[in-house]
Amino acid sequence: MSEDKKQVISPESPVETQAQNLTDSEQARLDRPKLSDWLELRLGWWGFVRKNLDEQMPAGVSWWQTLGNLLMTLLAFQFITGIALSMYYSSGPESAHASVKHINEGFISNIPIFGSINWGLAVRGIHVYGSSVLVCVTVLHILRVFFWGSYKKPRELTWLVGVLIFFVMLGFSFTGYLLPWDQKAYWATTVGTNMAGTIPGIGDSMLILIRGGSEVGSLTLTRFYAAHVMILPAALIILTALHLYLVRKHHIAGPVLPQKGATVPFWPNQLFKDAVVVFFGVGIVIYLAAVNPPGLEGVANPTGTDLVPRPEWYYLGLYEMLKIMPAGWELMATLIIPGIVSVGMILLPWLDKSKSRHPAMRQWIIISGTAIILMIGLMTLKGYLETPVHGEEGHGPAVEGQAAPDGEAEH
Amino acid sequence: MSDCKNCDNCDCGNDAPDSPERRKLLGISVGIINGVIATAIIGPVVGFVGAPLLQKRKGIWVKVLSESDLPPGETKDVKFTMHIKDGFMEVDREYALFMRRSGDKVLAFDPACPHLGCRVDYQSDKGRFFCPCHGAVFDDAGAVVAGPPARGLFEHKTKIEDDHIWVYREV
Ligand code: HEM
Ligand code: FES
Repeated sequence: MSEDKKQVISPESPVETQAQNLTDSEQARLDRPKLSDWLELRLGWWGFVRKNLDEQMPAGVSWWQTLGNLLMTLLAFQFITGIALSMYYSSGPESAHASVKHINEGFISNIPIFGSINWGLAVRGIHVYGSSVLVCVTVLHILRVFFWGSYKKPRELTWLVGVLIFFVMLGFSFTGYLLPWDQKAYWATTVGTNMAGTIPGIGDSMLILIRGGSEVGSLTLTRFYAAHVMILPAALIILTALHLYLVRKHHIAGPVLPQKGATVPFWPNQLFKDAVVVFFGVGIVIYLAAVNPPGLEGVANPTGTDLVPRPEWYYLGLYEMLKIMPAGWELMATLIIPGIVSVGMILLPWLDKSKSRHPAMRQWIIISGTAIILMIGLMTLKGYLETPVHGEEGHGPAVEGQAAPDGEAEH
Repeated sequence: MSDCKNCDNCDCGNDAPDSPERRKLLGISVGIINGVIATAIIGPVVGFVGAPLLQKRKGIWVKVLSESDLPPGETKDVKFTMHIKDGFMEVDREYALFMRRSGDKVLAFDPACPHLGCRVDYQSDKGRFFCPCHGAVFDDAGAVVAGPPARGLFEHKTKIEDDHIWVYREV
């Protein structure tokens, strides 16, 4: 009973202030409430925190369910590094390349014991590898949900919003890739936007709308920059909030076959697993950024012949598909196949009519899904093995001597 | 008709503050007002962002090479500069062309691959154009030999005047 009395004005029950027989310290706390009590009364934050910590997980929830939290953390990393980069980045064709070069080279300081540290390159490295790991983890997260059948009623919209988040993420990488305005940026964008131009009927207009003109130029760069730092982040924040709301509303789906055992609260077991996974996920990003910091090729040059075309690794599958399409069939690779896969992803909860979430009960979905995943995986691998690794800093001797478009100052 | 109590001047009925008719009318009005407000913001933004669609490409004749610099049988990678508007900037942008004589005409191939726009390169020992992106190959006359493009290299109009070769280029 004395236990009870001590908790009278704990954050969990801050309003029970009418209790009698308060000890001196309790009375003092009542007279001069701590900041946490003060906030609790106005925000009710403690209830919110407790609700999330006590969220009941079905038995059998495991490491696979930690990916969502890793995604949240990596997203926070992208936003923080992105905001920092945008303070030094300049989105004009005459200045973009030079400003990224400055980020790469202009912020080195000597710290005792640690030696020389390149702050700009570190932040850019985290942003670049963060985006790759983010896409990787997103794919794992999607695969987990796919094989567990967690997209079934009532979680159809959670899945749908997740797919939209994935598209937004691909949009982030596509637009971000252009920003350094180097050779690979320029040509990847030329090819990527031309793909939109192949759409029958509206292709030409789409191309002009995306590029802001008929050629990739200054208006393309500002459009992509606006998308990268305004439109897509806004869309991502809204979609992520919706996704999390739905996840909390419907709770975690648990293993395919309900397992025996009581539900377990999120805190402490699952939260610990989350922390471990986030630690290693972030570790991988930092490690990659440290051992292989992102380079910068020569400035974008529409007339230079030194290009080594190479999109971001997760577009390599698409890139390979473009290569193997026979003459005149490029619409298959630019629109039809990616379109079918995208629409299939969106409609998955409605295509899969089986009541059971067990993979054996929805063989067609599992088989066709696995086939598609394997195809994409194989094409990506093929692309990875066949395309030369693109050059580092100042790649290609040809670039140095050539006139840069728009009188780039640096070269 | 219990609303009558609240209503001094009217003869009680449809214009009572929350009669169904009144609710419907006000609902429609709010809808119309919101529509106007939405148009006020969407209209200008769509017009502004979509403006590049209305821009007309204009073509001009550019002097790129003196006649004697293009011997028969040779394919030349020619660079020339054009003063263009790129967004708010006016810049001298460099363009490239592959030029070759064919009879008494001059062919001017655009270096952008007709597949998805990478820059093709000419290898004189093989007499072929190669695209580094998805493996397209074109012959001397610009026709597809291998790879995914559905058509040959784009050609620009040319003319010979004042001992110079001129190219008609759209920007
Ligand atoms: C609000 C959030 C973000 C901001 C403000 C931001 C900002 C920037 C800036 C200023 C750059 C140019 C500097 C550079 O190239 O290093 C950049 C590049 C890039 N961003 Fe982001 N970014 C954000 C989120 C993301 C996300 C979520 C992804 C991926 C899923 C992403 C992927 C990329 C990529 C791939 C590049 C090109 C990197 C390179 O080759 O250098 N960004 N971003
Ligand atoms: S762009 Fe030349 S083959 Fe695809």
